[in-house]
Amino acid sequence: MRSWDVRGWSRALVGAVVVALAACGGEKPREQAAAPGAPVTKGGTVAIAMSSDFQALNPILATDQYTNELIQYGLYTPLIQFDSALNAVPYLAESWEMLGDTGVVFHLRKDVRWHDGQPVTAEDVKFTFDMAKDPATASLLAEAYLGFVDRADVLDPYTIRFHFTQPHAQAIQDFWWAPAPKHLLQGIPPAELRNAEFNRHPVGSGPYHFAEWRAGDRLVVERELLFPAALGGPPPLDRLVFRVIPEPATQMAALVSGGVQVDLPLQPPQMVQVRESKQLRLFSFPSRTVYFVAWNNQRPPFNDPNVRRALTMAIDRQQLADALLYGQGKVATGPIPPWSPMYTERKPLPYDPAEARRLLGKAGFVDRNGDGRLEGPDGRPLQITLITSNAPLQKSIAEVIQAQVRSAGITLEVRPLEFQTFLAQYRSKDFDGALANWQLDNFQVASAPRALFSSRLAKVPNSTNRAGVSSPELDRLIEQASRETDDRKARQDWAAFEDELEKEQPFTFLFWWAELAAADTRVQGIVMDPRGELQSIRSWWLQGGRLAQH
Amino acid sequence: MGAYLLRRLLGAIPLVLGVATLIFFVLNLAPGDPAALFANPNVPPEVIEQIRRNLGLDQPLGIRYLKWLGAFFTGNFGYSFAQGRPVLDILKEALPNTLELAAASLVLVFVLGVAIGVFQAVHQHSAADGILSVVALFFYSMPSFWLGLMLMLLFALKAHEWGWLFALPATGITSIDYDYLSAGRKVLDRLEHLILPAVTLSLVLAAGIARYTRGQMLEVIRQDYIRTARAKGLPERTVVLKHALRNSLIPVITLFGLYLPLLFSGAVFVEVIFSWPGMGRIIVDAIFQRDYPVVMATSFLFAVLTVVGNLIADALYAVADPRIRYD
Repeated sequence: MRSWDVRGWSRALVGAVVVALAACGGEKPREQAAAPGAPVTKGGTVAIAMSSDFQALNPILATDQYTNELIQYGLYTPLIQFDSALNAVPYLAESWEMLGDTGVVFHLRKDVRWHDGQPVTAEDVKFTFDMAKDPATASLLAEAYLGFVDRADVLDPYTIRFHFTQPHAQAIQDFWWAPAPKHLLQGIPPAELRNAEFNRHPVGSGPYHFAEWRAGDRLVVERELLFPAALGGPPPLDRLVFRVIPEPATQMAALVSGGVQVDLPLQPPQMVQVRESKQLRLFSFPSRTVYFVAWNNQRPPFNDPNVRRALTMAIDRQQLADALLYGQGKVATGPIPPWSPMYTERKPLPYDPAEARRLLGKAGFVDRNGDGRLEGPDGRPLQITLITSNAPLQKSIAEVIQAQVRSAGITLEVRPLEFQTFLAQYRSKDFDGALANWQLDNFQVASAPRALFSSRLAKVPNSTNRAGVSSPELDRLIEQASRETDDRKARQDWAAFEDELEKEQPFTFLFWWAELAAADTRVQGIVMDPRGELQSIRSWWLQGGRLAQH
Repeated sequence: MGAYLLRRLLGAIPLVLGVATLIFFVLNLAPGDPAALFANPNVPPEVIEQIRRNLGLDQPLGIRYLKWLGAFFTGNFGYSFAQGRPVLDILKEALPNTLELAAASLVLVFVLGVAIGVFQAVHQHSAADGILSVVALFFYSMPSFWLGLMLMLLFALKAHEWGWLFALPATGITSIDYDYLSAGRKVLDRLEHLILPAVTLSLVLAAGIARYTRGQMLEVIRQDYIRTARAKGLPERTVVLKHALRNSLIPVITLFGLYLPLLFSGAVFVEVIFSWPGMGRIIVDAIFQRDYPVVMATSFLFAVLTVVGNLIADALYAVADPRIRYD
């Protein structure tokens, strides 16, 4: 659940220069990657470069993407996990029974322990649930996962029952979160949880235990020897060291010079160097982030679906993905991610400036004075302001869009703003168009459409429906799909929703972002997919297992 | 002297307070919302409101200012919004790192700058003087972040690739294995990590000092008392280092006071490039995240350090020139 990550980009230009310089360098002896099936070496330290520091290491408070991944895959044990096909599989809960559409009962494993030796029980799960649901905690866990869950009852120390407020799709996925230890947190008032000492020195229950955190410098976790064999047992590596290296060029320098073995996230221009190096391996996988231009649906002329459709058709989204993402992105048609079981492949609206012109003509915008630009009925030119954050990638996207729509006679002004200023304008609906992105919290697809397009939210100040989208038909389709508990039918419902979305075009969806990472070939066992960069850290191992230096 | 310093220190209090107040209002009136640190689009406005309440941001600006002022006078900098721990703890971790970098750079700046300046003045119009002037100008006009990246490229990346004897670490303040090293190796390890950032930070400023020192020396060297010193048969070494240098140092000491803020602001870039966990990094992150308590505390600290630096410069005048007295 990362807040929009723009800072990593802010210095990417400098990074690109250095990468280009670094790429024209000398050779050095390569070490071969281990053959598949080679025996796993035990021991060793792997250092990982990250662009920003972790936030509170507490499942109830986690908001940032990598913090969340470290919690889910390293430090704690969530109730469920996902396999590579994104099906829910048992983890802390060794089994569960759905109570029809009204709830679920989980049976917990009895061999999982907190790193201080206490057993992980249903009481911890209930405590975490109650703490998250308390409004004073302002927990995103509650917002992202527990909207349809209102009560938890402990049946016995290892059995817990949850109640749903209404039937909903992908209900088991409400429980992809890890309990926090009740015995260490129970005295803390919810409003003060954010400042708890625990968050900086967590006691978890996962395959790695917390060792050290020097803010802005490094976070160290170590192998947990008592991690249950049934969940994979203790990891092969002795230690993982996460190093905070804010500058992308420096990250790359550290990776090449051996200061770190894994670099996340990688910037698209850096792919070139990683591809050329035999010592490095490139990881690229579909993300949970979609980029779009939100049109202000409450402000003329963007309240006219014809105008919004014309704007979409005036933007060559494939070219954007190819040029700016080095071909790593996929053109988006809506908020349902391509890797989701709920996704139905569809052709995006074509890039067609002539058709865009025709549609704008229908809305009253034609070239009245022969200057190549469109004017409205009052003779004033069609002039659009597109706000964006001032991060280089965002600015480049906006500038390419500006050039593209010109061929349809549209004058578009790009206004790059400091990120917080951008957000303030976007939230208060003070814009024509806003270049923004959206990151899914999890694999449940209903949350995004609901938050972005629900007409109930259109009237709420500062709500997530920042474009002021208000369509009874979209509302109906979203509700229908998100209540459907049969996955096959839910998928059809989402396809119907995207049909309507294509007609309405409240946004111009641009592309799905691809996440990039690089690793030294000696680090084995890395699998990165939509579950995240860190989803396989329990299985990472180091060929020849040694201590990292530098 | 003591009374003078005390007077200056007391006079600095309203100044520092004024700076802090100004920053408080500018920061709070700038667009942006600390609660937006959690600005995942999924966050409904109610959660943001709750976060704002928990952070105390729902109160009027005036009240917040008074509260901040009150807490401030009792030495309570509050909790960081972003890190959820006392700002004092954050400062305690980061300040020594920045001071280490700044102190090392300061020494380098003056030793290097003064040495080069004196050399140039003594060898005026020689080839070495010309070359050094060009080199100094080259570094003087170079942005420190660019210089840093280039040094890293050469002495960390390429040195490693080409197998030089002394490849330096590219990032961080210590090695990953630092805790497992012997005491001697620890010192060496820290020094290794310090070289690139300190050199980056000091080269640009040292170039300036060299230019100043050269100019001052040339002026002083033409004075009558220098001719007298030479005439009475003092060795050239004594003439230059004792008679000339001491007298040409006074304007350079003024620079010391002026350079301190430059050093700290330069550290912001250098710390980001070399991922040096110091105050510069903290202040940049805090501004982006609108982490008000941290921004307030760090800028206050920078203001204090600048005032103290100027004070030290004034005190050093008296050391360099006994004619200057503060009574």
